[in-house]
Amino acid sequence: MDGLDLLKKDWKKRESSLPHLSYNQIYQMLWKRSSSIVKWIFVISIIEFLFWALITVFMADHEYWEEMERIHLKEFTVATYVINYGITFFFIFCFYKNYRKISSTDNAAQLMKNILRTRKTVKYYIGYILISTALVALIYTYFMMDYHISSTTVEDIEKYSFTPLQWLMFAVIMIGGLAVFLGLIWLFYRVIYGILLRRLNNNYKELKKLEV
Amino acid sequence: MNKELEHQFVTNLERHQNIAHKICRIYTNNQDAHNDLFQEITIQLWKAYPKFRSEAKFSTWMYRVALNTAITLYRKKKRSIPTQDFDTVDFKIKAEEYDDETEQQLKVMYAAIQELNDIEKALVFLYLEDKNYRDISETLGITEVNARVKMNRVKTKLKNILNP
Repeated sequence: MDGLDLLKKDWKKRESSLPHLSYNQIYQMLWKRSSSIVKWIFVISIIEFLFWALITVFMADHEYWEEMERIHLKEFTVATYVINYGITFFFIFCFYKNYRKISSTDNAAQLMKNILRTRKTVKYYIGYILISTALVALIYTYFMMDYHISSTTVEDIEKYSFTPLQWLMFAVIMIGGLAVFLGLIWLFYRVIYGILLRRLNNNYKELKKLEV
Repeated sequence: MNKELEHQFVTNLERHQNIAHKICRIYTNNQDAHNDLFQEITIQLWKAYPKFRSEAKFSTWMYRVALNTAITLYRKKKRSIPTQDFDTVDFKIKAEEYDDETEQQLKVMYAAIQELNDIEKALVFLYLEDKNYRDISETLGITEVNARVKMNRVKTKLKNILNP
């Protein structure tokens, strides 16, 4: 007899040895807290959205705006805020739409696909945040330099202005520092994703393997 | 949710609870984990229940939601899981009509199933539950051909474990 057929026969016999819960025991369970991965993903995603949305608010105190005005970047900053919040709301909308699609009554592959898609929305959002932060930081640096040069008086221009080599070093340090900082944040996210979604990703790949 | 719905759901689940217990048996290897998973399956079934009523059979619907919970939704709690538990807890009933050799073979088979990945376990479970390839493919969301190929691979894998 084939091993699995033998097992099938035994499997049926074992039904009698399965535990049996009473009506009340099952009823109690309805009110217990779920520890499902979807719940985790939802909570973590909301925290991410809030964190990035609020960090810009807390950074922008009165002094910050005065500084922006001094270097003639107030309008630019306001514009980036408006664009940034617009894009954030767009991402939250997509996230919510995808999240609503997750249903445990779908087939296994569809369910996994919907969960991964929901998580991907947040991943793209983080990608957007990192790239836009880098761009804005570079633009600010440029304007600050520009302001520094134009506000330096003619007499001491020799004393304060950079030589080409100093400029190059400054640029390398700026870009390098920024890259390391953003790279670390990205790495942090990769680790979170790795822990949270490894099993799901593996199962999805396993399921879809051989699928045409 | 009203009392009537609760009552209806719990009655249905009490009647069909074996499906969930069998899934727990395949996906867990000790009593605590079994209880944890059973509870999560119950919660997920209850959450999805309002959508069920238009569908046909409670048991068919339950297979899908319960398996989805075991494969995808359930997050294992971190605790050390002694692997020998499977022998002591799950193999406690001795099938009297089996000879020693068959019994030994079954023991090895059950242990081998524990070594399979989540998807392979789902295939074995549905096979043991007498589901045809159409049901299997619909539950997992893959083509029938893929379901057959995967099933054959699992069979070969188990055969190799049994006869190394």
